[in-house]
Amino acid sequence: MAKRIAVDPITRIEGHLRIEAQIDGGKIVDAWSSSTAFRGVETILKGRDPRDAHHFTQRFCGVCTTVHSMASIRAVEDALKIQVPDNARLIRNLIMGIQNVQDHVIHFYHLHALDWVDIVSALSADPVATSKLAQSISDWPKSSADYFKGIQERVKAFAGTGRLGPFQNAYWGHSAYKLPPEANLMAVAHYLEALEWQKDVIKIHAILGSKNPHPQTFLVGGMSIPVDPNSQNAINADKIAWMMKLFKKARSFVEQVYIPDLLAVAPFYLDWAAIGGGVGNYLSYGDFPDASGQNFFPRGVITDKDLANVYPMDEKKITESVTNSWYSYQGGDDKALHPYDGETNANYTGPKPPYTWLDTDQKYSWVKSPRYDGRPMEVGPLARVLVAYAHGVPEVQGAVNFVLKTLGAPASALFSTLGRTAARGVDALVLAQKNEEWLLQLADNMGRGILDMHNGEMWDPASWPKEAQGFGWHEAPRGALGHWIRIKNQKIENFQAVVPSTWNAGPRDEKGQRGPYEQALIGTPIADPENPLEILRTIHSFDPCLACAVH
Amino acid sequence: MKEEQTPAALSIPEETLLKWEARGIKRRDFIKFCTATTAALALPITLVPRVAQAIEDNRVPVIWVELQSCTGDTEAFLRANQPTAAEIILDTLSIEYAETIMAAAGHQAEKSKDDAIKKYQGKYIAIVEGSIPRDGAYCCVGGKSALAIVKEVCGNAAATIAVGNCAAFGGLPAAAPNPTGAMSVQEAVPGATVINLPGCPVNATNLTATVVHFLTFGKLPATDKLGRPLFAHGKRIHDNCERRSHFDAGQHAEAFGDPGHRQGWCLYKLGCKGPETFHNCPTCRYNEGVSWPVMAGHGCIGCSEPGFWDTMSPFYRRLPQVPGFGIETTADQIGLGLAAATAVAFGAHGVASALRKNEHDSKEG
Amino acid sequence: MLELRYVWEWPVRITHWVNVVAIVVLSVTGLYIGNPFISVSSTTPYVMGWMRFIHYVFAYLFLMSFMARMVWMFCGNRYASWREYFPWVTAKGRERIVGTFAWYTFLRKTPPYEVGHNALAVMAYAGVFTLFLVQCITGFAIYGQFEPGSFWFNLTQPLLAVGNQQLRLTHHIIMWLLIGFGIHHVYSAALMDVKEKNGCLSSIFGGYKFVDPEEEVE
Ligand code: HEM
Ligand code: HEM
Ligand code: NFV
Ligand code: SF4
Ligand code: SF4
Ligand code: F3S
Ligand SMILES: [Mg+2]
Repeated sequence: MAKRIAVDPITRIEGHLRIEAQIDGGKIVDAWSSSTAFRGVETILKGRDPRDAHHFTQRFCGVCTTVHSMASIRAVEDALKIQVPDNARLIRNLIMGIQNVQDHVIHFYHLHALDWVDIVSALSADPVATSKLAQSISDWPKSSADYFKGIQERVKAFAGTGRLGPFQNAYWGHSAYKLPPEANLMAVAHYLEALEWQKDVIKIHAILGSKNPHPQTFLVGGMSIPVDPNSQNAINADKIAWMMKLFKKARSFVEQVYIPDLLAVAPFYLDWAAIGGGVGNYLSYGDFPDASGQNFFPRGVITDKDLANVYPMDEKKITESVTNSWYSYQGGDDKALHPYDGETNANYTGPKPPYTWLDTDQKYSWVKSPRYDGRPMEVGPLARVLVAYAHGVPEVQGAVNFVLKTLGAPASALFSTLGRTAARGVDALVLAQKNEEWLLQLADNMGRGILDMHNGEMWDPASWPKEAQGFGWHEAPRGALGHWIRIKNQKIENFQAVVPSTWNAGPRDEKGQRGPYEQALIGTPIADPENPLEILRTIHSFDPCLACAVH
Repeated sequence: MKEEQTPAALSIPEETLLKWEARGIKRRDFIKFCTATTAALALPITLVPRVAQAIEDNRVPVIWVELQSCTGDTEAFLRANQPTAAEIILDTLSIEYAETIMAAAGHQAEKSKDDAIKKYQGKYIAIVEGSIPRDGAYCCVGGKSALAIVKEVCGNAAATIAVGNCAAFGGLPAAAPNPTGAMSVQEAVPGATVINLPGCPVNATNLTATVVHFLTFGKLPATDKLGRPLFAHGKRIHDNCERRSHFDAGQHAEAFGDPGHRQGWCLYKLGCKGPETFHNCPTCRYNEGVSWPVMAGHGCIGCSEPGFWDTMSPFYRRLPQVPGFGIETTADQIGLGLAAATAVAFGAHGVASALRKNEHDSKEG
Repeated sequence: MLELRYVWEWPVRITHWVNVVAIVVLSVTGLYIGNPFISVSSTTPYVMGWMRFIHYVFAYLFLMSFMARMVWMFCGNRYASWREYFPWVTAKGRERIVGTFAWYTFLRKTPPYEVGHNALAVMAYAGVFTLFLVQCITGFAIYGQFEPGSFWFNLTQPLLAVGNQQLRLTHHIIMWLLIGFGIHHVYSAALMDVKEKNGCLSSIFGGYKFVDPEEEVE
């Protein structure tokens, strides 16, 4: 019997996402992804100083904070042909690198874990067995029976109050939960540890960027955080040492907790390696440039899950459609526009709130539908890792092969809900290791007296051409992020952002092709339509960010 | 162990400490947290036991709603300052609803909210993050408009804390031309008791301090005319800034990366808005006191002030644009032009006057 | 016959010159505050500190002098009276405005006869006094911010609703308007002196002007 359900709000994500799904025979047969909030920042940017843009765009999102600053600044630098000093490149890599690692860990433990981990079941775990389990998968020091006993008592005391706060009304006891109580208890302990850990390691953002969320040291042409070994008010040896300590802390948690947990949980859910594949096209802009401009994660496009062919990425092939989004294009809503010519004219045609259903035959989301060469693309850690894997980046190949071997799964298992979640772990692992290299390079530059971190040649708008346009790219935690800017008379004439979650969360396009979330949900089993835990699993595997997607 | 030896801290009842230990919080961390919170609130140290008791007695229910937000304030909250603050807050408050962290989704999540509003009517704290669009089309959760949600959630709360500039003053969505008609909480629910904790995002320390003040005294802290607590917004950044001596001396970084900039000179000429911003960033700092914008070499952009996206920009200029002129033109260029034009005009007038024959002259003969 | 008449009483002259000095000092220090153009290499010179200190000392002086002149509008002679500043309310005054305007723009060969201020100048002064007022208000509103709760802060706080930056910008722009006025004004005073041979220029020093009783109209 067919049944329509709506999950609104999808929680444990950033922003306002609503999923409607048609269920038939215990499986999803059709799905619609909608964001229900809009701010209009692209419109707000018009007419402003292009050097200011990054402060505005950074506030697209406070979760993947920094990434839009990066993309905006690169867009302006591309338009004005500005080269940034090597120190600025390294500092940017470090800020992006730790953002990625921290964001992925938060996602895994605080946003995604409860889809797989039943907290209530952890109450009946045996702490001694839990300790054995933990020690068998990792040499992480916090794994004694006493430790797990303490955690369990704490959770018991909490549950004993009868007030579960953020954990009430959830899907506890759902038949789709498969972990034994001990694995659940271990995960709960690490949930709490990760909460502590994330606020510590992100202090790197405070050191290099003044604060987190929303670091404030980006500049068109470089960075505003000075480097000078002989100054108290700059990045000096003391701060390098401090950051090294934090980077090591970040890495050891990823190596000894995150990855082992991932590999310990995955075997219980191997069926999810065949669920949630989605559109099968992958796009990565590449990022983390070295001194010669070569990206550590390469650029590329994969279509139809074909890892044998990675195509070069051509920014000109990107368009956005609004056929099913609450906007109108001057030239007609069935025309796809390249972002340089993009328009953001709000045109809400949806139901008047309060409402029960969206009219999905018409426009039904605030997210636009980006397409590459007319195709929907999945972006994110999976796309990034696949492109790097296919390109033969040794660090990525090593990590992917290790994960696949441990799970006894073929490479094709990557095209799935589980694959997406595993690729995020690979991404975090590789970057957690890479960060220390970049920090050492920065220290090396400083040691050789190279202190430049801002190229001010084009700082004065009087030095700019009358008109210019640029494309700013970035591999954000959630994937390929692009900002396109047109500058005229020193002001922003047009600004368009096509964000990772825009790619993934977008609705159908003018040809009726589903977006990646929608496509990935097709075929997902739903044991109980009243408690659609499985929808959360696949949707969360993308790590949605809707404030990003719509902006 | 120093904290434990202060007489105030020592007088926290043993049973309170034991209770917290049972919940897995080290007594040392608990005392540290209470002391730091008391200090953050500018309360005398003798009130530490009272603060401790306040935290102990009430696990106050909280409903945290996000509207037109970027979730930066939720993230700030997750970085809460004192070593164990995040845990203590999780144990201190009872977070009934918070989309970003809660386990339930969809109608189950909405039920948590509805239940809490009913069960704790007039007793819970509402925390609002993000602005509220006038028209429901621009922000809905669970099919309800943002406006309907804040009216319900704030209208039934004991008090509302508007976190971040968006909730406090409209923030980014309300920047010109305010495409969605975004409003602050106070504009959206004029009758509600609201305290504003602006910042973009809010400083987590100020949020915990406000909550604890409420728990301790049963009322919100004293505020300025803009509804911001005086303990966090009572003074200008400029008057607490570590670079102030360079300002007074006349040592100003002229360009990013110049020697003055590397030596921590004042950022006034690079557009710092510290002189017009009331916020405790220099003393409180961010991420457990690691840094704050000026310390990291970038000017303040005034993120705790109403309308700062429009009034404080262009951010790399000291003064805003003169209305009607391009972003290229500064007030000084316009002024200089005006003075020069006057001089030229009167110079020409003078020449013309000297040339013309004056009636008085001819009369006198 | 020309006779010498006491036009500008001493309070008018003193406040005039105190204002002139204050405005010059406030403009120089204000320009520096707005754009600190002197760069120093150690913390001892305290340049900005001094500039601001001087700015505030002269700000008080200026405020006092300005207020004194305002009081004198109600106790001084007819040339100093507040009535002078609204020439457009009477038919006679409107005629004077048109007359002076025509003279300035070369449409008329002789200036209308004036003992006190000429009609256009007086309107400019009314404008300048308004600028003085706004400059004092915005100045003290910014000044008060360093100590919330202080006298000046409480007095001017409602203005913060206009926006801090707006206050600064206004304060900054008015400086330029006053400089513009200064150029025009000194020129006009000199022109009057030369063309009317009435001792206009020296009158603001000594107070006396040459008056032709035959031409004078009540
Ligand atoms: C004709 C009279 C005056 C002139 C031409 C003048 C000019 C200026 C200028 C150009 C600035 C820099 C503004 C900026 O760029 O932000 C300034 C700042 C200032 N002025 Fe004045 N000003 C005058 C009178 C006053 C008065 C009466 C006060 C009253 C206290 C005052 C108080 C201030 C203050 C507090 C500042 C800001 C200083 C700071 O932020 O450190 N000014 N003035
Ligand atoms: C060398 C410099 C100056 C001279 C010789 C001078 C001369 C005079 C004279 C002759 C008058 C009366 C003129 C009339 O009624 O037509 C006057 C009035 C006035 N002047 Fe000046 N002036 C000088 C500079 C300034 C400056 C720099 C300012 C301010 C920016 C200023 C502001 C005023 C004002 C406000 C009045 C109206 C006086 C009142 O009614 O109290 N003067 N000045
Ligand atoms: N999607 C997205 Fe972001 C990321 N990562 C943006 O570029 O999360 Ni807020
Ligand atoms: S105030 Fe700033 S951090 Fe908070 S929601 Fe608004 S933009 Fe985000
Ligand atoms: S850096 Fe900014 S806040 Fe600090 S003294 Fe200079 S102008 Fe003031
Ligand atoms: S930008 Fe905001 S964080 Fe503080 S220094 Fe300025 S108020
Ligand atoms: Mg866009």
